[in-house]
Amino acid sequence: MPGAGILERGASADALFTLVEMIEDLSSARTVDQVAAVVRSTARRIAGADGVAFILREEAQCFYMDEDAIAPLWKGQRFPLDACISGWAMLNRQTVVIPDIYKDSRVPHDVYRPTFVRSMVMTPVRPNDPIAAIGAYWAVERQPTEDEVTKLQIMARATAAALDSALMHASLAETLQRRKVLLRELDHRCKNTLATVQSIAHQTLRCSPSPEDFVEAFNGRLGALARAHELLTRGAWGHAGLKAVLAQALGMFGGADGERIRVSGPDILLAPESSVAMHMTLHELAVNAARHGALSVESGRLAVEWSVDMAAEPRALDLTWTETGGPEVAADPVRGFGCRLIEKGVAREFGGQARLTFAPEGVRFRLQAPLSARLRLE
Amino acid sequence: MRVILVEDEALVALMMEDLLEELGCQIVASFGALAPALEWLDAQSTLPDGAVLDVNLGGGDDVFPLARALRDRGVPFAFATGYGVLPDEGFAEATVLHKPVDLGMLWPVVKSFRPAA
Repeated sequence: MPGAGILERGASADALFTLVEMIEDLSSARTVDQVAAVVRSTARRIAGADGVAFILREEAQCFYMDEDAIAPLWKGQRFPLDACISGWAMLNRQTVVIPDIYKDSRVPHDVYRPTFVRSMVMTPVRPNDPIAAIGAYWAVERQPTEDEVTKLQIMARATAAALDSALMHASLAETLQRRKVLLRELDHRCKNTLATVQSIAHQTLRCSPSPEDFVEAFNGRLGALARAHELLTRGAWGHAGLKAVLAQALGMFGGADGERIRVSGPDILLAPESSVAMHMTLHELAVNAARHGALSVESGRLAVEWSVDMAAEPRALDLTWTETGGPEVAADPVRGFGCRLIEKGVAREFGGQARLTFAPEGVRFRLQAPLSARLRLE
Repeated sequence: MRVILVEDEALVALMMEDLLEELGCQIVASFGALAPALEWLDAQSTLPDGAVLDVNLGGGDDVFPLARALRDRGVPFAFATGYGVLPDEGFAEATVLHKPVDLGMLWPVVKSFRPAA
């Protein structure tokens, strides 16, 4: 037992008390900075060294986070794991004892030359998966005693537990913070969705000749909004692919890339809110096509094609919706909410232009919009 | 009454435009993003009488730079937001409309835009 060893070897009661105090302080440390501060303020006294350093592992680097020494060491500096002794101790998961640093080839001599250090002990913190190291340094060439090495290892064990708890604390705090942000975001999205529903109701009411018409059109749009949100939820409210948005919007009308509907173009990603607007627009076009246009008859065909003009500055999306083989289109149909949404909605969303044309051979829609954060190539 | 609207969600914007028009406003410009709105404002020799501003404009943008620009020019404005509490950006005095917004909420705001004369 290392503790008994200290007593048997007659270590001073003072060092032992300091060690107990250190362990108590470590157990109440809640952050990595606090752990480092406890180590700095006590380790040198316990080890009886001329200097100590607390080194934190940062992926492939050793960060000399804190120190307490008779003269400056490397506080605040970073070295590659394979170019310093703390890195060696962490990579090899063992304590290093070096009586004369200039006779040991693992020591980067140039880094030590400006310092007082002649001998040292470096021990990894949490040896089975090192996350830090504690170094003790002496200004003279000497063989560190077994007692000194043991004390340093005890400190490292206490530090490991404290660091684990600090890291757990940080992750817990982060989780709670994220939960708070998510709740706020949820509240915001809910209200925006309600505002969207309100807008749909308002617009649908303006263009409905009868309550029956209102109910039918409103329910259709509400369903489209729900499906747009389904798509977003599947993608965790990240960007959604244009092809996925099309598949969702055309699902009720024979599906994208079926016999009658052809969809082709490069993979484009839409921001969450933009994919809702795009989905609602495509829904309006599809409903119109199913009711009066190409999707209302067996012979009708629909092609949705798009490309990105790479030469344009900024690069721009050019999307066309072309209906063919349907009944002849009336030259000037009544332009309701659907038209307004189709022409103004996405154009506004993407800062581009949208045009709906009622050509006799079939309805056409064209959207031209610059690529942006809302609309980008996958 | 010449009013500008900033609202990133197309559907909501269409309705807000309708509501404002029903209250006798003329929508002189309507934006879905911050940059074009700022650009537009810089180019105006005749300022609008008021503005209705959505706070969160998507893609990490918020409307506060435009709100500051409007305040500097003495153009009255109101925020419309889905957030319960506005982030602390120095607009504690500003009118905040909570979505969903209706005519009853918008009316006093539009009235306050009207020049005192």
